[in-house]
Amino acid sequence: MTVADVADAHEVITPVQSGRTRVIASIMIVIGLFTALAFGFGSGSDAHSAMSFAPVNSTNAPWLLGNLTVLTRWTNVVLGLIMLGLGIEVYVRRPKRGVMARFGGVSILFMFALLFWAVRTDGPSQVTTFNLTALLIGSSAATMVLVFGALSGVMCERSGVVNIAIEGQFIGGAFAGSVVASITNNYFSFYVAAIVGAIVGGLIGLLLAFLSLRYLSDQIIVGVVLVTMLGSLSSYLNLQVLTPFPNFNLGNLAPPLPVPLLYKIPILGPVFFNQSGFFYLMIVLVAVVSFALFKTKYGLHVRAVGEHPEAAATVGINVIRVRYINVVLGGAIAGVGGVAFMASQGQFQVGYTSGLGYIALAAMIFGRWRPSGAVVASIMFGVSVYLSYTLQQFDVPISLYILQMFPYLITIAVVAGLIGRVRPPAADGIPYRHD
Amino acid sequence: MTDTATHPATPRKRRTYGEWLNSKSAIIVTALALLLGLVVGALIITTTSPAVLDAWRGMFHSWGAPGHALKVNFDTVGAAYRSMFNGSIIDPSGFWHSLTTGKGWTNTLTPMSETLTYAIPLVIASIGVGIAFQTGIFNIGANGQAVLGGIFGVTVGSMLHMPTVIHVPLTLAAGVVGGMVWGAVPGLLKAYTGAHEVIVTIMLNYVAYSLLAFALFSTALQQPGQQNDISRTMDPSSQLAPLFGANSGLRVNYGIFVSIAVVIFAWWFLDRSSIGFDFRVTGANPSAARASGINAKVVVVLVFLISGGLAGLAGIVQAASTTPQLSGNFLIGSAGIGFTAITVALLGRNRPMGIVWASLLFAALGVGGRAMQGTTGIPLDLATVIQSAIVLFVATPVLVKEIFRLRNTQTNALRLATKGWSS
Repeated sequence: MTVADVADAHEVITPVQSGRTRVIASIMIVIGLFTALAFGFGSGSDAHSAMSFAPVNSTNAPWLLGNLTVLTRWTNVVLGLIMLGLGIEVYVRRPKRGVMARFGGVSILFMFALLFWAVRTDGPSQVTTFNLTALLIGSSAATMVLVFGALSGVMCERSGVVNIAIEGQFIGGAFAGSVVASITNNYFSFYVAAIVGAIVGGLIGLLLAFLSLRYLSDQIIVGVVLVTMLGSLSSYLNLQVLTPFPNFNLGNLAPPLPVPLLYKIPILGPVFFNQSGFFYLMIVLVAVVSFALFKTKYGLHVRAVGEHPEAAATVGINVIRVRYINVVLGGAIAGVGGVAFMASQGQFQVGYTSGLGYIALAAMIFGRWRPSGAVVASIMFGVSVYLSYTLQQFDVPISLYILQMFPYLITIAVVAGLIGRVRPPAADGIPYRHD
Repeated sequence: MTDTATHPATPRKRRTYGEWLNSKSAIIVTALALLLGLVVGALIITTTSPAVLDAWRGMFHSWGAPGHALKVNFDTVGAAYRSMFNGSIIDPSGFWHSLTTGKGWTNTLTPMSETLTYAIPLVIASIGVGIAFQTGIFNIGANGQAVLGGIFGVTVGSMLHMPTVIHVPLTLAAGVVGGMVWGAVPGLLKAYTGAHEVIVTIMLNYVAYSLLAFALFSTALQQPGQQNDISRTMDPSSQLAPLFGANSGLRVNYGIFVSIAVVIFAWWFLDRSSIGFDFRVTGANPSAARASGINAKVVVVLVFLISGGLAGLAGIVQAASTTPQLSGNFLIGSAGIGFTAITVALLGRNRPMGIVWASLLFAALGVGGRAMQGTTGIPLDLATVIQSAIVLFVATPVLVKEIFRLRNTQTNALRLATKGWSS
């Protein structure tokens, strides 16, 4: 068995079991029926919904897309029937591949149906609209932070260390980032903040690595305690330092850096090419981590260490060193994620990451420990986080507090029902003792 | 000594220093971890207190300045820890005053009473987390389960009206049911879909906070005539009354008997009952448990029912013994007993009596932190930082022994059966 064989053990794709396929298909059918009945026939016969695409800064746009106005009832009935059709197709044919892609499609259609239903206006009076571009921009902030966190998780867990302290690294990065960006407070402040955030996150990762690699402590315990520690430390420092010295917490937002020309493309332009530097950094990081993990010799070593450390050690790979490097780099990525969060939210507040680090962890699991999968999962969670805060501005007869549960409930549903028994790297979370 | 007395036949053998250390290893490591935790706290105070930093900044201004800076430093840290001690255990001067004049006993005993009041629900929640740990299950959702226990319990306590002898047990039972409902979710999901309990319980915590806010703004539970997120008040017949009477000024209450009962139950359950034995076998060696015919799915669900039920009980005991109503910040944040319970269970090595001592210690730190904030202005979150540091040190006993150069000692590391995501 060569190193490559060991490292690629994770890549042997186990086909989705047919029982689970049926469960997913049933969920799709239920969602389709619910959409057609509740969002379709549940809205008035002459209700209209409108979707607009205006970029946020419309003066720069060379051309504008007009509003799309549709009849709520029949649009949603059709959308529901499409979902129903997809569900029945999966149930009957049980395709070997593409089940999750179809499920993703159903989720997206459901989101549109939900929004059409939320903004419906009865009669020919003024029609409320929802701005698709604004929705995507808003979701991209949460998605970006989740991608940073999920990448951090991929880095650590591919080498066999469970990093549950992502939330703590977010908190540390956000705090340090806010202080540094406020002190420097110039054009370069967020570059400095990102570097300091990476250092802080990397140090937290180093502490995790030190305790769990050198002293073989339980990684989940250390991670959970680190999150508690960072949470209370940030609260302490907030009262002790930031409150008396508000100049340390100005809450500047990172300025958008529009990519020339490209940012004028409708919908895509504002979402992908008019973002802060952190967004572009995230895209670069996804590419770099993917490439490094799957196309380089070092990545091969990392995956071998995560699957079978004893075998990796036999062929001369320094297991402990690989794990140290990956956990520290992973911590640094999560630290930058914390700065990115702060740079899109403003002033540091205690507890304002509200569990995003854990959702990122779930995104990593849902993405099956791959950067690309983590991105897809992060988009899904990011949109649901943003929607839960946005839907309340429309006439939705659901309490704000119920809406706030959705991202977490979706996470549970995803971890429980849809992915089932995923296979993590074989040595994930198991201490390695070299004798 | 007693060994040789009861077995006179065995030759008397002097115990070496190393053997003595081994026999007391866990206690020594815990004590040293406590010391190290306080050192970490002192370092944090030193580096963040303006007065201390100012003193050190003037270090090169005169010959006496370094000494002065050191004095300011020690005074600040000392004042913080002194107010922690005085506020959570006993104020020596007040105690002397009471002893000599016979007056002011209420003030003198208040710190201890507060520490006990804080420790009562903490013991219950921590034992729930500890039982789960012993089974190899990581219940991070104790806080959410306690919130649900609070919601269920306060509903029963405020909406039903009956005599105390029925009302108190019924209220507590409602709390247990609330916690069980919330605990059943991760248990069933883990047993039947393989969802890892860590993610599920963390997410359920956040769902529980939203549910609490929703309940507090609902007409059913909101205090009539209130616009804020505050619940109806529990009937006096459903509250846990102060032990020394309502006018004593001491808040320590009948909840203490509830937690004593829970400790006895946990001891019996883990050491004497056959289900408890199945639990521990599952935690120590899952494959051996499977081979001996223990149904892993049933064990997982049962663990979460018991652990969640105890967390729910802790939630309602907390509400029924202190503020007899729920508010928006009930158990929210890192100070929630469900999170402290995780660290307490680890510190107490998941054993019932260990958890009692650990709860008292962490309760003292929490209560003392509040007193410290009141007298010195140092934020009480420092107490939580110290608690986390202590647990980190306890979780790495080898590190503690290296710091203090203790050799020749065995290390009984805190071992759990959590094995990444696949288990």
